[in-house]
Amino acid sequence: MPATATFGAEISKPVVTVEENRALIDFELSEAFDERFLDRIQSGLPTGFVYRLELRKDRKRWYDRPMRETTLQVVAMYDAVAREYLVNTKLGGKLVESRGVTDLADLEREMTRVIRLPAFELDEFPSSWRLIVRVRAEMGSKTLLSFIPVTIKTDWGESKKFRTKNALPDGA
Amino acid sequence: MPAHDFKGRRRRPQRSDARWVVGGLLVLLVLFVGVLYFFQRTRDLPSFLANNQVLLFVLWYVDIILIVVILFVLLRNLFKLMVERRHRMLGSKFKVKLVLTFIGLSLIPVLLLFTIATELLQGSVDRWFTAPVQEVLEQGAAVAEELVSRIEKGTLRDASQLLQDIRPIDLADPQQRPELGDLLRQRLQTTNLAMVAVYDERVFIQAAIDPQAGITDLPELPADFLSDAAATGWAVRPVRQVPGQSGRLILAAAAGPPAPAPDESGGDQAAPPPRPIVVAGALMAPSLAEKTERLIDASQSYRQLEVQREDLKASHLLTFLMVTLLILLASSWVGLYLARRVTVPIQALADGTRRISLGDLDHRVEVAADDELGVLVDSFNRMTQELKRNKEVIEQSNLELVAANERLAEERALIGAVLENVAAGVISTDAAGRIFTCNGAALRMLRQRESEVIGLAAADAWRDPERRKVADLLSEELENGHLARELHLVLGGEWKTFDAKVTAIDDGESEQEEGAPGEGESGRVIVLEDLTELIKAQQLAAWNEAARRIAHEIKNPLTPIKLSAERLLYKSRQEDPALGKALEEAVEIITREVASMQSMVDEFSRYARMPGPRPTSVDVRRLIHETIHLYRDLKPGVAVRGNIPTELPAAQLDAEQIKRALINLIDNALEATDAPGVVEVSAERRTGTLYIHVADSGRGVPVEARGKLFLPHFSTKGRGTGLGLSIVQRIITEHHGTIRVEANEPHGTIFTIELPS
Repeated sequence: MPATATFGAEISKPVVTVEENRALIDFELSEAFDERFLDRIQSGLPTGFVYRLELRKDRKRWYDRPMRETTLQVVAMYDAVAREYLVNTKLGGKLVESRGVTDLADLEREMTRVIRLPAFELDEFPSSWRLIVRVRAEMGSKTLLSFIPVTIKTDWGESKKFRTKNALPDGA
Repeated sequence: MPAHDFKGRRRRPQRSDARWVVGGLLVLLVLFVGVLYFFQRTRDLPSFLANNQVLLFVLWYVDIILIVVILFVLLRNLFKLMVERRHRMLGSKFKVKLVLTFIGLSLIPVLLLFTIATELLQGSVDRWFTAPVQEVLEQGAAVAEELVSRIEKGTLRDASQLLQDIRPIDLADPQQRPELGDLLRQRLQTTNLAMVAVYDERVFIQAAIDPQAGITDLPELPADFLSDAAATGWAVRPVRQVPGQSGRLILAAAAGPPAPAPDESGGDQAAPPPRPIVVAGALMAPSLAEKTERLIDASQSYRQLEVQREDLKASHLLTFLMVTLLILLASSWVGLYLARRVTVPIQALADGTRRISLGDLDHRVEVAADDELGVLVDSFNRMTQELKRNKEVIEQSNLELVAANERLAEERALIGAVLENVAAGVISTDAAGRIFTCNGAALRMLRQRESEVIGLAAADAWRDPERRKVADLLSEELENGHLARELHLVLGGEWKTFDAKVTAIDDGESEQEEGAPGEGESGRVIVLEDLTELIKAQQLAAWNEAARRIAHEIKNPLTPIKLSAERLLYKSRQEDPALGKALEEAVEIITREVASMQSMVDEFSRYARMPGPRPTSVDVRRLIHETIHLYRDLKPGVAVRGNIPTELPAAQLDAEQIKRALINLIDNALEATDAPGVVEVSAERRTGTLYIHVADSGRGVPVEARGKLFLPHFSTKGRGTGLGLSIVQRIITEHHGTIRVEANEPHGTIFTIELPS
């Protein structure tokens, strides 16, 4: 298996808001727009992040039970002639948004800040369950020793525990 | 027959194995060609495909799997080899050498090639990104971007100028549209713009197109173009798809401040008034647009390659590594396979040898091979089969030998019992002339004990002159493996006569030894028959017969005498006047018959009074010639001749008696032979015996009469006393010789005298 590396990028703790039995997730990826990443984007190669989101059932004194998982792909491609960044966003493999951005700051915001992402439906889970959302970002790959490919990943960011109807504070 | 390895597992035929090897090598070749093709194709592929990260990971995983497989194959086989070496299996050392040789032979060049290729690749990739190339591409792109930027700025400036020009015009008033149109057309003529358009916020108001620009219609504005312009006051966008043109249209939008609200005192918050936006479009010539785009694209491609440099190196490295590992795997596997191909038959042969040495001759080495090893295995199996067959033959022979030995022992016991109970003496000697057996009868005949003869040479066992005759007879040369002789020995002060028959035991294999009986003989058997009592009985019978014949002969003249006497008595009583004449006749008859009786008695007296022989050294050749000389021209038409070798040695004989015997025999021969005929006397000396043959071509003697010829008073002539041959036999017997009669071929009779010389 290839090694993984984080390279200083971090993902914030996801914040989950339950609305109409949907988990709306907010999180932010920081320190991801490094020189290597910018060079790659500016070269015109499709470049982006894959956010892996997991919904887990919290279990005391035991491992959490995975319930659902999905991916959010944010890929940017720079058109040097038009001097415009085309950002495509896919949730669970389906294109949900495609827009052009001309400014790098806008691009970074577009790619690293996720707001109210309707990641999971919560209809089938009992309200007594305590749930957790985990998010990690995969930022492409790099080679070690010139030939060992490694995937660049962040650590998992875990949300607070919540229930299906209402978000609950810890220990409630 | 299905092939099995030496452990008994079924193996595929070797031809199938060869196909697997060839197939594997072909797959490897195809793979190599495919990799080569891949490298060729990557030149034409988009860089993001050639350096796809999925490909990178696939290559990495393939390499990992190959490394694991190679390690598994090598370690497994090395472990097996270690186990085999520890158990000292035959062929394990050879297999280790073979495997290491194969792996070494493939590993060293492959790794060398891999290292060199890697270095070359790294160097080549690094040379791609040399400073001059990068500088040229970046500067070219910068020039292109600067050109586009200038066009954009000029267009934006014209749009801003036009925005200032139309400020007095109320865009919401349709009456002022012709004025606006004139203004727009005028601007087109005074600038390089291809088109201008005026929007009230997002609502199209009016536009003008330069007819010389070749644009047939207004282009579709990019998304968010007007909103961006409204939000920021300006916007610039290139448009590639221009109706009626293949060039690029640089659109610049300048947004004016919002128009003053018509009524600002209203209580309700009204929507913000629309902002006038002027969109100006400058057309870049197709060639210029293409060149700038190509410069920018080239720079982008270069930057992409630079960004992907590590991935590119990694993918090439991993591909090289994959090919290297594939070659290693193939070479290791082929090495192991070939080693197994060589060592498996050897191990099978060794195992077979071990099992055969333990006596398992049913074991067969089953290895599918059609090369020299196959020939070796087949030869080994044939040898095993032959061994088994020989063993069976030997076992069968052994059984037969045991049975034969048992039979022989039984027969020996039987023969021993028979020999011990037969009256004849039987003595056997081995090839060296040592006495092997001597039955009781022989010991009694020779008056010896068993310990005095068994195991000794005949000459040692019988040293005294009398018994020495037996030893001499045993060492004589045989005729057709046989020899018969009558032996006369004086044992214990008694005359003993034995009929001795010597027979050679011929096995055809015995080597001749010094003093051995004869070539090709494994020994001799001498059978002694004691004739002493038989001869006495024969003599008694002969005398009985002679007495009966004499009585008969005496009775014959007595009858005429008696009849003559009775006739005289009758004549006398009758006072016959012819008594005188009768008396004369009777006296004559009586006198004649008495003379006959007298002659007969005299003959017998002579026979009875015949003196014993007085032997002297006699020239036998001369004796025979003198005797023959007496009969020269005696009977016309019948030749009497001699056939005597000149070197015939002298013999100890009574010349007179032997001459008498010869005369008798020649007389009989002449009498039996009618003219024309021949009577031949011949002599020879063989093995210490003098042979004299008297042969005639006459009538011959009937078979039934031959046994009685030598009896006294037996005659086939119908006249004479019949004592001639009896006298001859007596002379010969008294010389310790024998006489026998046989038929001559084609007709006639042969009398043979055998005399010890």
